[in-house]
Parts: sequence; C-alpha cells; structure tokens
Amino acid sequence: MIHCCKTRVPVLVLSLKLAYIEKHRLKHALPVDWYRTGLNALPKPFFSTGGCRVVSLMRTFLGAGALLWLCLSGVSAHAGDDWLPVVPEELKMTTESLAPGAPAIYLYRQVDRDDQSGHEENYVRIKILTEEGRKHADLEIPFVKNLTKIRGIKARTVRPDGTIANFDGQIFEKTIIKAKGVKLLAQTLTLPDVQVGSIIEYKFTKEWDAGLIYDSNWTLSEELFTKRAKFSLKPSTSYAVRWSWDNLPPGTDAPKDISHVIRLDVQNIPPFRTEDYMPPEGELKAHVNFVYTTSGEKDSDKFWREYGKAKNSGIESFINKRKAMEQAVAQIVAPGDFSEAKLKKIYARVQQLRNLNYDKEKTGQEQKREKLKDFNNVEDLWKLGYGYGTSLNWLFLALVRAAGFEAYPVIISNRSNHFFHPKLMNSFELNDNVVLVKVDGKDVYLDPGTKFAPYAVLPWSETGVSGLRLDKEGGVWVQTPLPDGSASRVDRKALLKLTDDGTLEGKLTVAYSGLTALWRRSEQRNEDDTKRKQFLEDQVKEYVPVGVEVELTNKPDWTSSAPTLVAEYKLTVRGWAAAAGRRTVLAAVLFSNSEKHTFEHAERVHPIYFGYPYEETDDVSIDLPPGWKVQSTPAEKIQDEKVVAYTLKTENKDNRVHVIRDFKVNFVMLESKYYAALRKFYELVRTGDEEQIVLQPAS
Amino acid sequence: MKSKLFCNLPPEPWLSKLPHLRFCGFVLAAMTLAAPNAHAGDAPPWMRALTSVALPAHDDKDSVVQLYSEEILNVSSNGKLKSVRRVAYKILRPDGKDFGVARGYIDSETKITGMRGWCIPAQGKDYEVKEKESVESALPGVTNGELMSDLRAKVLQIPAADPGNIVGYEIEQELRPYVLQDEWVFQSTVPSREAHYTLQLPADWEYKSAWLNYPEAKPVSIGMNQWQWVLTDIKAIKTEESMPPWRAVAGQMYISLFPPSGKAQQRGFDNWAELGKWYTGLLKDRDNASPEMKQKVATLTASSTATLDKMRVLAKFVETDIRYVAIELGIGGWQPHPAEEVFLHRYGDCKDKATLLGSMLREIGVESYHVVINTDRGAITPAMPAHQGGFNHAIIAIKLPDSVNDPSLVAIVQHPKLGWILFFDPTNESTPFGQLSGYLQENYGLLVAPEGGEFVRLPTLPAAMSGIQRSAKMKMDPTGTLQGEVKEVRLGDQGRGQRQALHGASDRKEWVKPVETLLSHAFTNFQLTKASVTNLDQPELPFGYNYEIIAQSYGKPAGNLMLVRPRILGSKSSELLETKEPRRYSVEFDGPWRDTDTFEITLPPGFEVDDLPPAANADYPFASYHSKTEVTGNVLRYTRSFEVKQLTVPLDKVEDLKRLYRIIAGDERNTAVLKPAAR
Repeated sequence: MIHCCKTRVPVLVLSLKLAYIEKHRLKHALPVDWYRTGLNALPKPFFSTGGCRVVSLMRTFLGAGALLWLCLSGVSAHAGDDWLPVVPEELKMTTESLAPGAPAIYLYRQVDRDDQSGHEENYVRIKILTEEGRKHADLEIPFVKNLTKIRGIKARTVRPDGTIANFDGQIFEKTIIKAKGVKLLAQTLTLPDVQVGSIIEYKFTKEWDAGLIYDSNWTLSEELFTKRAKFSLKPSTSYAVRWSWDNLPPGTDAPKDISHVIRLDVQNIPPFRTEDYMPPEGELKAHVNFVYTTSGEKDSDKFWREYGKAKNSGIESFINKRKAMEQAVAQIVAPGDFSEAKLKKIYARVQQLRNLNYDKEKTGQEQKREKLKDFNNVEDLWKLGYGYGTSLNWLFLALVRAAGFEAYPVIISNRSNHFFHPKLMNSFELNDNVVLVKVDGKDVYLDPGTKFAPYAVLPWSETGVSGLRLDKEGGVWVQTPLPDGSASRVDRKALLKLTDDGTLEGKLTVAYSGLTALWRRSEQRNEDDTKRKQFLEDQVKEYVPVGVEVELTNKPDWTSSAPTLVAEYKLTVRGWAAAAGRRTVLAAVLFSNSEKHTFEHAERVHPIYFGYPYEETDDVSIDLPPGWKVQSTPAEKIQDEKVVAYTLKTENKDNRVHVIRDFKVNFVMLESKYYAALRKFYELVRTGDEEQIVLQPAS
Repeated sequence: MKSKLFCNLPPEPWLSKLPHLRFCGFVLAAMTLAAPNAHAGDAPPWMRALTSVALPAHDDKDSVVQLYSEEILNVSSNGKLKSVRRVAYKILRPDGKDFGVARGYIDSETKITGMRGWCIPAQGKDYEVKEKESVESALPGVTNGELMSDLRAKVLQIPAADPGNIVGYEIEQELRPYVLQDEWVFQSTVPSREAHYTLQLPADWEYKSAWLNYPEAKPVSIGMNQWQWVLTDIKAIKTEESMPPWRAVAGQMYISLFPPSGKAQQRGFDNWAELGKWYTGLLKDRDNASPEMKQKVATLTASSTATLDKMRVLAKFVETDIRYVAIELGIGGWQPHPAEEVFLHRYGDCKDKATLLGSMLREIGVESYHVVINTDRGAITPAMPAHQGGFNHAIIAIKLPDSVNDPSLVAIVQHPKLGWILFFDPTNESTPFGQLSGYLQENYGLLVAPEGGEFVRLPTLPAAMSGIQRSAKMKMDPTGTLQGEVKEVRLGDQGRGQRQALHGASDRKEWVKPVETLLSHAFTNFQLTKASVTNLDQPELPFGYNYEIIAQSYGKPAGNLMLVRPRILGSKSSELLETKEPRRYSVEFDGPWRDTDTFEITLPPGFEVDDLPPAANADYPFASYHSKTEVTGNVLRYTRSFEVKQLTVPLDKVEDLKRLYRIIAGDERNTAVLKPAAR
C-alpha cells in the first residue's frame, strides 16, 4: 500500500537538504532492544556491484550511524507526568490469550514524531507476565551527543496491587562509542521493584535539530506482542512525503493523513518470530515506511520514467568515450571472433581489472598512501585499471557497444536484504546494476562487476529481480533471469571401500558449479590456502551425519571465474556400518546431513525462501569387504513434486554397491500454505536417505 | 587489576585479542572513519630491531607469532602505578589481521596516558597511528542484566596488518588499584619469541612473585630496586573444546607489592586469608537490615515454624524477587550495594543478592558468609597465589543450625570450625535451595569470614541428581510406523536449561520446538500429536516433558526383513575427540549426571526377532555406559544408562573417553532385525 502527500518545497534549502537525505537515507524503528536492532540495521559495507558510494562508506557510516542511533532510539514519552490511567484489567492480567506464555507484552506504545520542530515523544507500557519478562525493565536509550538530546525521562512501576514505585534512581550515561568527536552515548536505567504482574511504563522526548530530515519507518512487529499502539508523524513541510505499509494486522485501518499529521492506530500485533529459510525480516514485519522526496509525483510510471531518463543520461555521459573504447576493444578481441566469443573476451577482460569492492578493508592511512585516482568516465577507468563493481559494469557496457553490440544499462534491485516495491517510488531500492546485451537475438544479462561470476551467471541476489532497462525515454521494466537448479550444482562422487570394522574409506570428489561455486570463491577470496582447505574440509563434515576424517588432496582453482570449483579428498567415515546380530547394516546415503534437520518444526508462519534453485547429485560406490555379500538394498525412490524432487537408486554388482541420489530444489519462494507439503517432502527425503543396505556373511 | 565480581565471565586473554563480536563492526567502522587524518611515522627502535629476528617455533595454522612483548610497571611511593605495555606481532596469514588492533582498558582507577601503534610493512614506509585515532567503547546493551559498568576499552586499529608485515603497539597507563598487585599473563594463543616484565619499586618497597602454569624464571636486577624477568620461546596455547579454563593452563606471574609498614595503601596479598580480610572490609555495614527488611522477613516466615522452612522462603525470595541487575562502578565491581538498597529496589547482582540473603537470614538467627568463586571450575584454586583477578561470582555459605538436618540439603560440607555449611547461589533462579549447579560443584571458592578468607571445596552432588530419565512405550505396525508416548524427566542442570529455554520463548507455541528438534534427530518423519510440560515453574520439582508421537518409516523394510533401531531417541555420543590434532588438555564436564533410557517397542504382528544387537558395557573411572536390548514376548526392550562420575578426564585418559564415545556411537546405531514370524 502506498500514499503520497505533496507539501510545499522551499527551493532555497532544497538542494542542501536533499543531498543530505540522499546520502543518509535511513530507517526508523521502535525496537525493544535498540542497540541490537541498531546493529542489524547498520549499513553494511557495500560489496556487490555497488559502485561509487563505497568511496565514502565510512564517512557515510558514522553520519548514518549517528542518525541511525537517533532513529533507533525511538522510544520517547509524552512530556510531563500525564501517565495514562491503569485499568484494573491490566493489573489483574496474568496472560494474554493472543500470546499465551509470553514473558511480557506491550500493553501500549505511542510514538509521536514531529519533523517540523525536530522532536519525538514516546510512551511505552509493558505488562510483565513471567520472571523472564522482567528483563524489559532494563532500559538503554541511545543518542548521539551534539546531534540529539534525550530529555524528560520518566519511568515507573505499577505494582500488581496498583501501588506505584516511581523511578527516582540514577540515570547513567554510558559511552557506547567515542571517536574523533563523535560520541554515541546511551541513557541507561532500570526500574525499581519489578515483579511478575507489574506494569512498567516509561516515556521520554528525543530532540534534534529541526533541519535534520530523514526518512522514518514505523516497525510495528516486535519481539513482544503489542496490544495497542499509536503512531503519528507530522512531516516536514520542506518536502513531499510518501508512505507505504504492509503486513498490518487484519482489521487495521490504513495510516491516515489528518490535518497534515499521518496517524496509525493498531491493535494486536503478533510477536515477530524468526524462522529458517525466511525472506528478509523487513519484508515480513508489519511496518509503515516514509520517504521524503523532492518529487510530488503520485503516478509511479511517470516517476520511474523521469528517474530513468535522468539516470540514463548520467550513465551515457559516463560511458560516452567511443573512440577510447574502440581502441580498447581492439586490444581485447580478434577481428575474426564470433559475436559471443567477442563478448566473452570482453567480459573476461573487464573481470580481470581490479575490482575495488573486493579489496580487503583498509584503514584511512592505507587508502591515503595508495593514492587511488578518481575516475570520471570509462576511459579513465580503463586507463587506471581499477574501479568499483558498478563502474566496471558501465565500462563493460561501453566496450560491448564499441564492439558493435546492442546493449543497455539495467539498474536492478538486489534482493539480498529487501525486495523491490516500485509503487513506493524509492529510487534507492534500485541499488545494483547489470548490463543487458543482445546476442544473436537473445537477451543476455551480464555482471562482470561481480568477481568470480562466470559468464552469463548473475549472483543469486540479482537473479529473478525487477530492473529498469534504461534508455533516453526512461526505460522499460525487465526481469533478470532466474536460472533453474541445473545451473547451480553440487556433484559428489565417491569411490569407497567398506572395511571389516564398518569403516568407509576412499576418495571423494566434489564439484561445485554455477552459484554454488561463485559464493564459495567470493567468501574465501581473501583467505590463504590453509583457511580454504579447512573451509572445504568443513563443508564435507557438514554433509555427513557422523564424524569423518577428511583431507583435501588437490589445489582447487579459487581465483578464476571458471564455472566449476573442484575439490578432491581422502575420506574416512568410522563406524558407518552398524552391527545387527550376524548381519551388518549401513545407511544407503552418506551425504544426507544437509537435509537432516531442515524444516523440523511443524508450524510455519513465514514464507519459505531459498536464495536460488540448486541441484545435488551423489554418486557413491562402496566395495564390500571380502566375506560379505549384499542381502538387500533399498528399492528405488522417486519423489518428484516439480519444485522439489528426489530420487534414490541403489545397485549391487560384483560386491560393489552403487548409490545414486539426486536432490533438486527448483524454487526461490513458497507461500507458507505449502509448508506442510514441503516438510512432508523433506521427511520422505530423510526416510529415503536412511534406507538401509543389509549385508550378510557370504558363506 | 580489572577483575570484578559479576556473573558473566570477563573475556579471557585470548579473546581480548579480538574485537568484541557484538560491536566489532561498529568499532572498526568508527576506527576507519577516525583514520584519514593519520600520518605516517617511523616505528620505534624496539620494533625496528625485530625485523630480522628469527621467528619462534610455529606451525602452518598459526596466523601470527608474537615477536616481542614487554610490560614495565613503575611504582611511585604514593601507591600510583604507571605501566607501559609493548607488543609486536609478525602477521603470517590473513587471519592474523585481528592482531592489528591495540586495546587498552579504562575504568575509574585506570587511565590510558599514551597509545600508539605501528606497522612495519615488508615493503614501503612504516605506518604510525596515535591515540587520537582510537575509538573508545563500552559494552553496549543491557541484556542479561549487565546495566552499567565503568569498564571501557580503547581500541586502535593498526594499518596494513597483512601477512609478512610486523605490527606493534605501546600503551601507557596510570593506575591506582585497590590492591597493589599485578598479573603478567605472558602466554597466549600464539607462539611468543620473547617476553619481558620489568618492575621498578620505590626504595623500601618489597615484592613477592608467584608463578602459575609455567616454570619460574628468576629476575635480573637491572638497577636500584628494579628487576626484570625475561622469557623466550613461549609455546602457544591451542584452545580446545571442553578444556580447562584459561587461568588453569596459561603461564602467568603474580606480583604482590608491599609498601613499607605504616603506609595507607592496600598492600598486595601474602595469602588468601588476607584477601578474605580485605573483602570482609568491603562488606562492612553492607548487610544492615532496614525496618522494612525486618518486616518482610517476619511476613515471609510467619507461616513457618521450622528454621529450614524459613531459610527456604527467604532464599526463594532473594532468588526470584530480586531481579539480577549489575551496576558496577569503581569499587562497586567488588563491593556490594547496601542490602537495604537492594531490598528497596528489588534488584542487584550476585554479591548484592548474597548480601541481602545473608542479612535476611541473620534476622532468623542463621549466620552466613560470602563465597567468592569463578564460574569456570579450575580457574581459581588454593594452589594459586593469592590474587583478586580470578573471581567472577559470589554465592553464599549458610551455617546450618544444629536443628537443620534434611536430606534435601545436598550442597553441604562439614567445616572444621563452622560445622555444616550449605552453599547456595541466589543468582541462579532455577536452582532449588539445597542444590548447586554443575559449574559450582567441585569448584573452589574463597569463604569470607571475619577472621579472613579460606578456600573451601564445594561438594559434588550425586550424579543421579542431574540428568535425563527418558522412557517410551511404543507400538510398531507392519509398515514400520511407530506410535506411542515418551516421558522425560529432567533433573538438575538438565531441567534448568530447559526451563530457561521455555521461559525465554515469546509465546507458548514456541515451547514445542525443543521437543521437535530432539525428535528430528531421531526420526526422519514424525508428527508430535500431544505434548505437555511438567513443573515448569516449580524448580524444586523435576522438570518434565510428556509427549506422544507417530513416526512413519521408523522400521526399515529390507527385503522381507524389518530393521529397527532399539535406541529410539536421544544421543549420548560425542564427536568432541574426533579431531585431527591430538588432544592437549584434559576434558572438563559441566557437572556429574546420570541419564537413563527405557524404551519398549511392541513388535508388529507377523514379525519376530531374528537378530539383536549386542549389549554395550563400558566402565571407566570417569564415566560408565551400559545398554542392552532384550525381547520379551513381542516387546523389544532397550535400556541404557550413561553416568559421568568424575568432572575431569585427565589427558592420559582421554583416549579412554574417545573409546567410550565410539562405543556409545556404535550402540546408538545398532539395529535389531525382524523377520516374518514362523506360522
């Protein structure tokens, strides 16, 4: 859902303030544990194909960190001592039927922010239902010294009998971080006489310079159940403001603009739970997002068209070095190369350039000493031989055009941390880029700005996402391809012997391809051989449900963008075969651990989200020890549910057991209503994996 | 000199080398921001001299080696101390970048007066960073009740901590410690080439040194009242899971300083009794009872006539009604808040709780004493030199009146002077009165009595008081589906852990998850059809789960046979010792326990047992394991017990433990074979 409110935009202050907003776009939350939530929300080092914003990442960080602190500390109070009346029902309450067993619940929360005068008032009332819930009486209210102020902290405990214990203790000022004139502090206190059955409440006001404007966000879903909450925002009159909302509890009225104040009244917000394989939290929590903008455009098509035009113009200006690019292409390709061969050569050449996003973190001194030069266009970049991922993609665009290809810049929304909502008209959500090249009539999406990405393979977070293919008219919406599971495989081939004492030993070869190779290379890029060896050996240990001895025996190719990463091992699995009287039994599937505990819980709240489709094949041969023969092997298993599939085949020939297992995941997201079926599938997989091969004495 | 009595462990020395996980990102980011104005400078001569030295013995997994460390302690006659710490590492592997961080601690008695760091790169000019580029941080957050402390860290990131480069730093501090003692912890997780400790005392002052976990080195006199100790080629301590605590294995030297008699400063400790006296001084008048406290004691105990009942009700009050909140400023790290304040606010930390309980007990005529202790068994023992640094927790020892003699009080020892004393930890909210958690058992604590302190060994509780007793009655049908009920009784620490997990859940729906996780390790395909919890809020009673399950495909068809695992669920085996590297240290268990399983499976009609797995019997002094599978009529019955009898498995017995774990793992995988019944 989205709404927009056009307000007056004073032209004189606009440019400065806008620049500030653009650099320090922030989120606002009302968390229970402010600091932890704050860390989760901190901007992460831009890693993928982010481009030039990295240059001043750390400057942005502290600026952003400071403001973020300001935002995240969002619990404030009404001024004065006007506590809301405590009703007998609240005092008597021992449990909340909508959150049975909860340690505590928010009886009431209120956040009133005024962006015109730069202050925010918060009021929180919590009912303590168990001893564990008493921890909510410890408060830490962070703030940035000289940027924000916390004033008027009032707190009290209402005992179960209705008597009051006002907070009259010490408020401690804790230094969280102090560096070069920046001080992140916290007002810290704890409430007195907090018992099970008590109600605690507190309020305070946060103030900041009215000139500081930043986007805000009401996050309604918290660790605790919320019985009722009210929010309001009096927006700045300097900008237009848009707001959108999602996942509000059923029956909640949409946020309303009442006399230029946006208000929301909400009840019965369930506690937020985290689950395995869930989409980014921000997509699941009940929330209202606000975006300040200079544009009052209400039509999203028009908004993106205008944005696309401006963006395209900037990119065209950056890449408009035709002659230099033609000269560069001449160094890369041979005249007789076919079109795709040409393209691959250019792709490989751009990937060879130094990608600054993949450098190890450097201190200011190191950066200063390195004296990296700025680049203003693709010619500079080509000459310098280094750039950030985003810029390298634009260089690639310029080169392929110079080579005669029809190619387009595409700005996309990376789905690693959030999903794209075009109706929100937030240009910052288009935070990544790829290049679309027409090759023999086909669209090929390429991202040489991602190191180790094989040709035509996009990193998982760029697959299946919306993007704006730019042109001078603004562009058209496109969708990047989502490769099926066969493009990202793990193939394990093992030649093993079973010894008399039930040990399996032999050689294992694991081949990772596509995205499974890409993330491993990327993650290990700054490690040495010792660490990488350990990493690969640990991976094998994770595949097998019992302890194994494993030794990497080859030197995998860590540095290229080759489609496959191959690791070879010497493998020993002690006690794999188990005694069964005069017989011996062994589980048919050795590499079963990955699925062993997946979806172990019966209840599911959130959709199921995998980063990308993938496939695994195990091809395992086991030579039996002399004196033993196979009595029985498991029957063939085929479980094909289209989006997931599993097959298990076992053969026995010449005292060698041959097991082939295929496992496929061919979806990215499933609604929670399919969870039961998916869980059932995994149960069947586990059942198949535990099928037993029965051996008996040959005589 | 930074130790305090709180209930969360302070970081061990090897951990302090790393940025704190909770805020390292923030700190490092802030440091990077702080750095642009830095300027290059030459490394000092002491570092320059290290560029060509031979590296100490190391292996290919070592990320760094310490080339040099030096600590200089300069004592003024007014009791002020100045220290200088110099350290230099050679980075060998990319992992070693974490050592390119200098970290100094600050509190109300300790300040940093100088801090600089350098890097000598393999190629190019040296880097230098200064204190103004450092970042100061405190532990953020108020989780676990750690509300406020004055302990802060100043962190300085050294540029180019890359393989081949040498990084180093120098930190100067001024200290005014409560006790004139110092610790030189010279052994760490990395090999060290050379370590120096220099002591400069005023005239007439004396010192005593004591060594721990390392052969004593004799000092060399290098001037008037100036001594120096030098160690070379110090081996690294490689950490292992379940190893003894750091203080029990790392080489350390303790220095106690003694001013001439008549000086006011708190001298170093000659023995533990002196430390006890010092602590007694801190407790003075802290346990005074206010009228409100007296009234509360009267109210709480009004309905009890027996002293033991009164003791229980007071212990319960302090255990549960006094919320754990630690506010530790200055001497507050050691000295409890006044009991009346703790009572009024209804919160306090471990020593506050001990003080309040002691005060309330006195109102019913029962005497008690503080016991300071470390929650890592072995971190502090009577064999160690007397020092403050090893304690992190306070509990209470209650002198049992003659009239109190009850079998439920098991955490007791007979003291030669005090008679029977009961140890009780009022901070641990789910430990019943009379019992102790595993981490405190067989642990040494300093009992603080007016005449001084003395070490006491806390008792070991019977193994049967802790553990999981699991029983299942199941039926299997011809398709291999297993159905039936499981009862679990969790005693002692096993119950405490589950209680904490459930109490922390956001709502009751989450309660089923621990059971589902347990079952997922046992069954490939199951439904939990019913589940309930017993005695969740009655810590004095055993915690329990009762649940009913249906597990499809539990019996595995194999031709005309059916394979059945008699051990239905729960695992006692461990991969702890299945490592490439040989074990270096003893294995420490959390506490004694005894688990038992009794599983019965009624076999499906039309099947009979063809083969049963053998019994498993393993007895070692430290642990035992017994299992057997029998068939009676159509019921397959599996019983087993696993008992941990000793809390330490010495290094020379670790192979036995490995053997035991393998026996258990083998037994847990064993299978019974069913065949069609003869007609």
